[in-house]
Amino acid sequence: MEIWNVLDEFLPQLLLVLFALIMPALDYFFKDKRVLAFAALAPLVAYALALVSWTIGGYWEPAISEPRIGLLEVNLFSGVFALAFVAVGIIVVLSSPEFIKAERNQGEYYALLLLAITGMTVVALATDLIVLFVGLEVAGIASFALSGFSKREKRSAEAATKYFIVGGFSSALTLFAISLFYGVSGTTEIAAMGPQMDAMFADVDGTHSVAVLATVMLIAGLGFKIAAVPFHMWAPDVYEGAPTPVSGLLAAASKKMGFAALFKIFLLGLVVVKADWDVAIGIIAILTMTVGNLVAVVQTNIKRMLAYSSIAQAGYILMVLPIGTEYAVAGGLFHVLTHAFMKSGAFMVVAALAVRGVGESIDDFKGLGKRSPFLALAMTLFLFSLAGIPPLAGFASKFVLFSSAVDASIAPGGQSWLLWLAVAGVLNSALSLYYYARVVKRMYMEKGSDERIAIPKMTGVAILFALVMTILLGVYFDAVLELCQEAAGSLLQSVP
Amino acid sequence: MMENIPVLSLTILLPLIGALISFLLGKRGHMAKWVALIFSAAAFILSLALAYEFVVDPSSAAAGEIEGYSNGYQYYESHVWIEAIGINYIVGIDGISLPMFVLTTLLCMLSIIFSWDTDRRPKEYFGLMLILEVGVLGVFVSLDYFMFYVFWEIVLIPMYLMIGIWGGPRKDYAAIKFFIYTHVASLAMLIAIMAMYFEASLGTFSMEAIATQSVDFSRGMQVAIFAAMFFGFGVKLPMVPFHTWLPDAHVEAPTAGSVLLAGLLLKMGGYGLIRVAIPSLPSGAEDMVVVMAVIAVASILYGAVLCLAQNDLKKMVAYSSISHMGFVLLGYATLGELGVVAGVFQMFAHGLVTAVLFMMCGVVQHKCGTRLIDNLGGLAKKMPIAAALMTIGFLASLGLPGLVSFAAEFMVFAAVFFKWGLWIFLPIIAVVVTAAYYLWALQRSMFGPMTEKIDLSHVKDVDWYEGLPVAILIVLIAIFGVFPYLIFSRIGPAVEIALRAFGGG
Repeated sequence: MEIWNVLDEFLPQLLLVLFALIMPALDYFFKDKRVLAFAALAPLVAYALALVSWTIGGYWEPAISEPRIGLLEVNLFSGVFALAFVAVGIIVVLSSPEFIKAERNQGEYYALLLLAITGMTVVALATDLIVLFVGLEVAGIASFALSGFSKREKRSAEAATKYFIVGGFSSALTLFAISLFYGVSGTTEIAAMGPQMDAMFADVDGTHSVAVLATVMLIAGLGFKIAAVPFHMWAPDVYEGAPTPVSGLLAAASKKMGFAALFKIFLLGLVVVKADWDVAIGIIAILTMTVGNLVAVVQTNIKRMLAYSSIAQAGYILMVLPIGTEYAVAGGLFHVLTHAFMKSGAFMVVAALAVRGVGESIDDFKGLGKRSPFLALAMTLFLFSLAGIPPLAGFASKFVLFSSAVDASIAPGGQSWLLWLAVAGVLNSALSLYYYARVVKRMYMEKGSDERIAIPKMTGVAILFALVMTILLGVYFDAVLELCQEAAGSLLQSVP
Repeated sequence: MMENIPVLSLTILLPLIGALISFLLGKRGHMAKWVALIFSAAAFILSLALAYEFVVDPSSAAAGEIEGYSNGYQYYESHVWIEAIGINYIVGIDGISLPMFVLTTLLCMLSIIFSWDTDRRPKEYFGLMLILEVGVLGVFVSLDYFMFYVFWEIVLIPMYLMIGIWGGPRKDYAAIKFFIYTHVASLAMLIAIMAMYFEASLGTFSMEAIATQSVDFSRGMQVAIFAAMFFGFGVKLPMVPFHTWLPDAHVEAPTAGSVLLAGLLLKMGGYGLIRVAIPSLPSGAEDMVVVMAVIAVASILYGAVLCLAQNDLKKMVAYSSISHMGFVLLGYATLGELGVVAGVFQMFAHGLVTAVLFMMCGVVQHKCGTRLIDNLGGLAKKMPIAAALMTIGFLASLGLPGLVSFAAEFMVFAAVFFKWGLWIFLPIIAVVVTAAYYLWALQRSMFGPMTEKIDLSHVKDVDWYEGLPVAILIVLIAIFGVFPYLIFSRIGPAVEIALRAFGGG
């Protein structure tokens, strides 16, 4: 194994870490803190370009070392997740300088941001439970600190504390589950878990129930990460308290990290015990989308509303696990991508308004259509996309996702109860339209102050980027959907 | 002359361009109405040219000679859109969609003229109207399920905003109710579409391709899918008991919004049933005949009876739509060629007539400041032209022979009689009730002693931009009332193709 090969394969991660490490030095040397943002942008944009030219363009193949180093693997599955993380990273970094202008220690902010994204990509690349756990922790600890970045604000400090305690608890559960799995399978390699467990079930009595217990622990541990009901209580408080760009990162990227882990472990490692968890996760999925949407209806704070809406979105993506077909995984990956753009876009609109002194209450959006036509239009499109109105990205991915449930239920030999997932999904989409449309109503149909709002420039660029992608992925998603299908194939082909 | 031009795509594209220009007018918002008029008129002229070139009976003429002809559809265009799951951009027009298509461009243009004095946020108002036109036109020519659904949903947003921004006092409630109600219905249809796609397992969303498989689906599957589609289309129609969004939406919507809502959006439901549900799922349709017929008769009677009780002119017209659209469903329920042709023709007729009625309600509201029948009276003396136009509209709607609705309703009755014999007495009661509520309303509002409840001293007669669209519509109502054959001859062959699965109908 040549050291250079490894370097080549994981160069993007190394670059992210490198830039994170030099960030404090840059902070020391440069008075204009926007330099930091551009420095943070550099490795992210480089990574994004490399990913796009690899996954969609097909112009370039990453040098994959042979033999594999075993713990991390670059494949299309990790590529799709990395795309989502990096895209959210770019959007968040772009809108940060204006938001945290008045704060000190900006170097740390960007360093933590880059480390968080590094951790997320490690989760996507991991083929081993321990490495996966390390990735979860790197991203998790960086996110705890980021949530508390606005030190002088009580809400921010509260959010960080809460997030830290809940995060620590969920890490402990996850780790406990991993150790149990090691006990019943004798391996921490995800792809090898299945066959090993199978052999163990036959040899040793009682191991099956240990595996089920471990699965329950894992659902709880990762359930906290993706804020699935009933492990969602922390999310609204944290998203509300954290600096808005960070909330965007948590909702649009951190959550996806949880899904990267879930998809891998459940669809790759735990297929042998699928009969034990598929109905349970199906119920959790339906509960998650329903509770998220119902509670979102009564929110008066836009960040809390978006938090509950992203809980609901997690419910939609969770459908993938019980369905488990390649098409469903493709739909899940597609939704991960589209959600990254529309949700981070929505948060950045809130951030842009906060920069201009507009509050976070939904009532503060009154008359926004007059005050800032661009921000109002962007918000409208993000929200309608989240609700799944065509021809926007959210519709396209929900379409694939829900139709995979229909597919699995009517296919010969399929499980007909899966149809209820699709039914719950569409009913929830209709429900969600109610609270999204209410924000649109505030913006266009109610009178507010007449004062125009100037759009903060860099945040505006970030919003425009998210907006273009939200429309593009809705109108022409052929290449991306094909990529998601191949990625789903690359994940499932290693199923024993 | 139009062989190599993608006329359908162009007609859909024109209003879209107009809408974008309108949104981008900046400070020159007062120009928006001109932009809207030019682009909607261009679309109308294109659709007229298309109707003129349309080959009436493709089977008799050498079908091979028609440029862009495919399986009953003319001006057929097909392009791959999303290859990964087989989504195509397919448009085509046949005798069923042609009347709807031309009706759409016509009503949109006339509504824009009717709204000539709109000075509140004109850029958005006219822009949204054009977007709405894009959506409706798209629905009427899409031959791919995915596209169909996309256009179907695009229609909701401009209508939601139109009710919500320019609507009456209870606009908030009406707008959101309209949005949610019809969106839920669309989602039922979406699940049905997904089920058809996977059950056919052809890897394409093309309607024609799926129809070749879906006629052979198991009976249970057909009934399940048909029921979901029936719900999806029926709410839009609207059918009792899912009609309650309609009166609210109409009462609060601005006049042009009401015209488009009743004239076009309701037609989407009726169109969907005959384009998709009935031909693709014959066994499902056969098993649901009784349900369809009962709901249709219930809508006809219940809608008519509710009209009697209304004190608001516009609300009365709204309820009359429920009743009249019931005839469309009743015609379909016969599953015979005569009935289905009559149903499609009734959609066209209702589109023309109801536009007149809503426009006249708008005129009354505009000039007198109220639409409450109790407060009106003797308007004919102050506004004779308006009274005359309204009288013609009411007479057309109650089915006066020689006007367009008569031809349609008469045919529905004939088809019902052939199929179910004397059960015809049920829907025919509605004719009496309809005549009663219209004449009664006319008598109380337009004729009789002048009201003293409102100040009529400054009331003027109709303005040109209000009178002109209504006059154009009335001329058309008369022409197609006397020569219904002009439309029948085009609908007929298309319906014959649509009902092939029923063994000759």
